[in-house]
Amino acid sequence: KNISLGLAEEPPSILWGLDPLFSAFVRLYVRDILQMAESTQVPGIYFYNLHPVYKVDVLGTVVYKRERDDFFCYGVDDGTAVINCLCWKSDELKTEDPPGMERSTLADSSRGAPGGFNLLKELKELRRTQQEHHRLEIGELVRVRGKVKTSRHQREITASIYYKVNDPVMSEQISWMMELPQLYREFYDKRLQLEPDAVGYRHANINSLHRAKNMIKDFLEKKSVSRFRPHDVQDVLLPLISAQPHSPSAGPSAGPSAGQQLRQLLKEALQVLQDDGFVYRRVKSQDEVFLVTTRDKDLLMAVQDVIREDSKREKYAEKGCHVLHILSAVRQRFSLNVSRAALELVLSSLECSSDIISPSDQHYIAV
Amino acid sequence: MLPSAAVFRFPWELTSGGVQDGQSVRTFGRLVDYQPEESMATLSSQHASKEHRVVVHTMFVEPFNPILGAQYIVLGETENSEGVGVTVRARVLNCVDGVNIALLQKAIEEQRNFFREREHKKADAAQSVDAT
Repeated sequence: KNISLGLAEEPPSILWGLDPLFSAFVRLYVRDILQMAESTQVPGIYFYNLHPVYKVDVLGTVVYKRERDDFFCYGVDDGTAVINCLCWKSDELKTEDPPGMERSTLADSSRGAPGGFNLLKELKELRRTQQEHHRLEIGELVRVRGKVKTSRHQREITASIYYKVNDPVMSEQISWMMELPQLYREFYDKRLQLEPDAVGYRHANINSLHRAKNMIKDFLEKKSVSRFRPHDVQDVLLPLISAQPHSPSAGPSAGPSAGQQLRQLLKEALQVLQDDGFVYRRVKSQDEVFLVTTRDKDLLMAVQDVIREDSKREKYAEKGCHVLHILSAVRQRFSLNVSRAALELVLSSLECSSDIISPSDQHYIAV
Repeated sequence: MLPSAAVFRFPWELTSGGVQDGQSVRTFGRLVDYQPEESMATLSSQHASKEHRVVVHTMFVEPFNPILGAQYIVLGETENSEGVGVTVRARVLNCVDGVNIALLQKAIEEQRNFFREREHKKADAAQSVDAT
């Protein structure tokens, strides 16, 4: 049952990195660590409440201990469950005798250390402290941070850090016990609100809008359309509407009809095409006539005329007419609705056909 | 083999017989008596103006340094012995004298509340899934 649930609910791996818990050592109860479902996409990743988790942070009593040459295995009990923690020994723990370099440091320290500071002694002390913190006995408190691993159907923690916690009056344990419910309530038990708002919904929308725009563009280019009305291209978008899954938020009664959706999508797509300058409307009236910018001979002529006339003037003769000057002239003489994006498409089209040239950036003269 | 988790239990929950035999528990109390020859210790605590005594088998944690009057934490399995009532066979017995018992109680309650709350939510969620 658990597996099918995990399969259905597991968020796509592309979103994992957006979850702050993914990059944190999550302070989970050991019971939850044992019960987390492992990812079917990437083994070694687990899900607590749809949060991708692979590193955890636990505090508990050592109730089991096994020592090997290279590692300790501690059973850690936090009062909810017990988990095995694989704790690798550092080199200092493996070799009881200090390595040979000690002798030279001893010589150095005895020579140049005033005030009785003995480096060798300090090092020994440091090593002893380290050993004390890593070698635990049953009944002692341990803090372990590490990766969750499942080996032979047993879940365990491979420690990246572990140390004995001195907690003579239980203050560490008490504050841990007080803190965890807060962390759960505020973070772990809250679902990450990514899919509906940030990624899923908008992503799908932008995607369909982008596709709608390209479909209209392709259609206009293929058919060499120079002018059209919205309903002429409406049917081009039909496949997008039928293929689009209904968003769960819009119920059957509340959601817009397919026709409404189609008209809305078309409106948005045409707006994007206008913003890009690919189409424009010479006159804004009830009758929505769109012109394909680079196919509008009148506009091309108008722009060319402006440049030809004005580049004769002394002011522009050498450098050419600036794009903004052309824009205002075209708007005055031809149509107020020509956008800069549309003009730039016209200019590059004219430049491609060598009707105009650009002597400097954003400046044009007629040939 | 890992032992099972030792869940926090208040001493008065143990003495009231609410805990089954053989359960792993952890509890606290002041050491008021220790009989080394019998490996028996007694932890005492006050709750609702009554004294509650939990008997602890100390065989597995010996030798230990008994400080009479100090607070201890014990972690082990419950046993129901004839005549003595509930005893705990200790796996861990730590002196934690100076512990803020009131705060510890609060922390235990907090944790229990959290788990109860979560169970309720889970049950509610399961119900709403069934309903649809």
